[in-house]
Amino acid sequence: MTIKTTVMLASSLALAAVGGVHAQDVAREDTVIFDLDRTIKDPGNFNWFTPGTKRMHGAHQAMWEPLFILNYGSGELDPWLATGYSQNEDSTEFTISLREGISWSDGEAFNADDVVFTVNMALNNEEISSREAATVRAQVAGVEAIDDLTVKFTLNASNPRFIVENFGVRIFGSFLIMPEHIWSGEDAATFANAEPIGTGPYTFTSAATNRAVWDRNDDWWGAKAGFMDLPEPKRLIWLESGGEESRAQLMATNQLDAAQNISVGTFEAIQAQNSAVIAWHEGYPYASADPCSRQLEINTTIAPWDDPDMRRAVNHIIDRTQIVNVAIEGATVPSRTMFVQYGSMAPFIDAAVAAGYELSATADVAAGQALIEAEGYAMGSDGIYEKDGVDLEVKIHVNSASTEYMRTIDVIVEQLNRAGIKASSVPVENGVFWGEVLPFGAYEMTYSWLSCGSVNEPWASMGRYTVKDVVPVGERSPGFNNTARWNSDAARNYSAIVDEMASRALGDPDVPGLVAEAYQYLHEEMPFIPLVQSAKLIPFNTTYWTGWPTSENYYNHPFFWWNHTHQIIHSLEKAGG
Amino acid sequence: MRRFESPWMNPKLFCGAGLLLAIVALGIIGRLFWNLDLAYTGAAPLKLPPVGFENLRGQEGAWTYPIGTDGSGRDLLALIVIGAPNSLFVGLLASLIGMSLGIFLGFSAGFIGGRTDDIIRVLSDVMITIPPLLILVVVQSAWGDVSLTMMALLIAGFVWQSPTRLIRAQVLSMKQSGYVQMARLSGASTMHIMFREMLPNLVPYLFGSFIANVTTSIVTAVGLEVLGLGPQRIPTLGRTIYEAINAGALIQNLWWWWGIPTLLLGLMFIGLLLINLGLDEVSNPRLRKLQ
Repeated sequence: MTIKTTVMLASSLALAAVGGVHAQDVAREDTVIFDLDRTIKDPGNFNWFTPGTKRMHGAHQAMWEPLFILNYGSGELDPWLATGYSQNEDSTEFTISLREGISWSDGEAFNADDVVFTVNMALNNEEISSREAATVRAQVAGVEAIDDLTVKFTLNASNPRFIVENFGVRIFGSFLIMPEHIWSGEDAATFANAEPIGTGPYTFTSAATNRAVWDRNDDWWGAKAGFMDLPEPKRLIWLESGGEESRAQLMATNQLDAAQNISVGTFEAIQAQNSAVIAWHEGYPYASADPCSRQLEINTTIAPWDDPDMRRAVNHIIDRTQIVNVAIEGATVPSRTMFVQYGSMAPFIDAAVAAGYELSATADVAAGQALIEAEGYAMGSDGIYEKDGVDLEVKIHVNSASTEYMRTIDVIVEQLNRAGIKASSVPVENGVFWGEVLPFGAYEMTYSWLSCGSVNEPWASMGRYTVKDVVPVGERSPGFNNTARWNSDAARNYSAIVDEMASRALGDPDVPGLVAEAYQYLHEEMPFIPLVQSAKLIPFNTTYWTGWPTSENYYNHPFFWWNHTHQIIHSLEKAGG
Repeated sequence: MRRFESPWMNPKLFCGAGLLLAIVALGIIGRLFWNLDLAYTGAAPLKLPPVGFENLRGQEGAWTYPIGTDGSGRDLLALIVIGAPNSLFVGLLASLIGMSLGIFLGFSAGFIGGRTDDIIRVLSDVMITIPPLLILVVVQSAWGDVSLTMMALLIAGFVWQSPTRLIRAQVLSMKQSGYVQMARLSGASTMHIMFREMLPNLVPYLFGSFIANVTTSIVTAVGLEVLGLGPQRIPTLGRTIYEAINAGALIQNLWWWWGIPTLLLGLMFIGLLLINLGLDEVSNPRLRKLQ
């Protein structure tokens, strides 16, 4: 009896402790639970200029709003905090008009001064390292407020893509505007911003290493100004779910409303248990095309991979079709070039292909081995190449957050070993991978997608591998650009052409020709090896919420860790209501 | 049991040894008759069930892959043909090294005594309080990809303490016995007394201890492998289970992927337990009299 009472007491105490995490109770049907694929290392820090999980745990989906959102469906920029922009003829001056009536969640007005202040923070502080801040710093010469709702940017050089690139949520995030009255006088490189405020319809409630909770601000400016209605969900939670298995179990039992990428087989198994779970396409392969094609990134400063012939050998040995079939269960296609295979990219892909730089869908192991042997390696008795008694080895760092990453690298490791390269994988945690391994060049090869960027023009992707972004190993690559540290003569020739391309307007007829010209150097030296197109199978649960983006309901893409998720949240409707 | 029948002829010992030999035989015969290249990524179709079953997609098992394939296109039969003896090998090797160390240190401590005893005793007392898995997880994750032998060596570093302590205690009591005194008086060297006079009397006991150690070592090795810390490209039972869990095999109902390696590990442990019980009867006559 006593034991029973003690147990009951203890468990009720435990329950009370767990319950205490949420300040007040919100019903499950009023809550949306999103999946988070990483640990929040520093849950008390909301300085998005610094590396770490500072945005994708709800901060830039619910609290911080972008100026524009690129609509992948229409190809247009949907205005958000801004209403529009204009530019001068040679694309060196841009004027953005802000929406009227915007206020921060603490009641202060949001205006042009906040924009100017935040941009100046990025311009004046060399230490802040986020990709968006680094891009703005590289492009902007000056910024000024014309009036309360108008901001004028003057650029260093002509850039027709300036708005979409920096303020349009083209890939993952955008340059986020911070409140001047909070940040003023703070050092942007070290300020923790522990009590963040934004203009979004949700405010920060609590965060721990495995979750972040956001509650609706019923006083949101957007509803008052007539911009949009208040979104229906009262609470948003980003929850670290763990691996594929727990993600799937949570989804099947309705404890998760949106899950990160899972494999086709797992999705089918979830659907068999819970028919309320949907994905982008109703039938196989269910997944939507992600703009970030997969690649094998190579550190070009480390022997023997500093030799372009060795990198090309690896390219010959890799069988992309097998990666598609085994690692991704047939849900995607091999990459033909470095670019994402969207219709809008066809002219540039075609230009590279016509010039003879198409990647092979299958392997040519003999050609790869011939290149290795030409470097003086001989096959040892254990089936591994060696030179001067040393085995030809490579360690491939891989982010352990997703089954897709791990399985792809397993396949590649197997292909390389069979061809005589003693490859092994080094799985590392998501935060370590992005925080320590990739930016500092602390790897020989990695599985990544850092040539990601272009969706309707070639420069955004190609511009990430120019020599101006090369830093020594051990220093942080600016904005994750050229983490391969590709810095040869070919790289310089390549960079010159890509720089020339930068100033060309969208739709300039010379651009495909320039792509082919620059691409020869990439093809010759392979600082990274494009692998396959990325297909993301994102399960959404319609038990509590409907209105998720699908191919039938294509208001935008489904990648709910991006800054455009504001649109998804505003589109959600209660399933019961 | 008749009175003069050898205590080594007991059914538990036989059954246990039989089970382990069957696993070794599976490894040997499998290597002769099965295509082991099927144990590598991408060698077979994905997620095929064993013969006579159907998977979630409605595909039926085929005799080309009689007990099914995993989510990366590896044939499970080939996996266990290589993997099961590998797991046993790690256990045996780790235990062998650990026991050898234990015998040497235990005898030295017990027989030589003095400072030597103090040092060895304190060392093993300290080491015995450290949970091996904890240290090994840290060491192996720092190390990266390890080989089977390396893993066995690392585990061996944690299985010598208890044999050391037990053997030391046995030696201390044996030291006083008549034949040891006799040998000493007749001028035999320390090494001779330790390993020629005393060791043979400890054989059944050492065997028991050895088998217990094999079990501990396999449990430790499998524990590490299930966490994804074992060798990467060399199939082991633990790693197969790790990959199954990681790829969502439970929700996809791919029971053969994790079930068959688990079953084999179960059989291995039952075999080891039976051998241990059998050896207990050999070294402890009182257990025999009870029957």
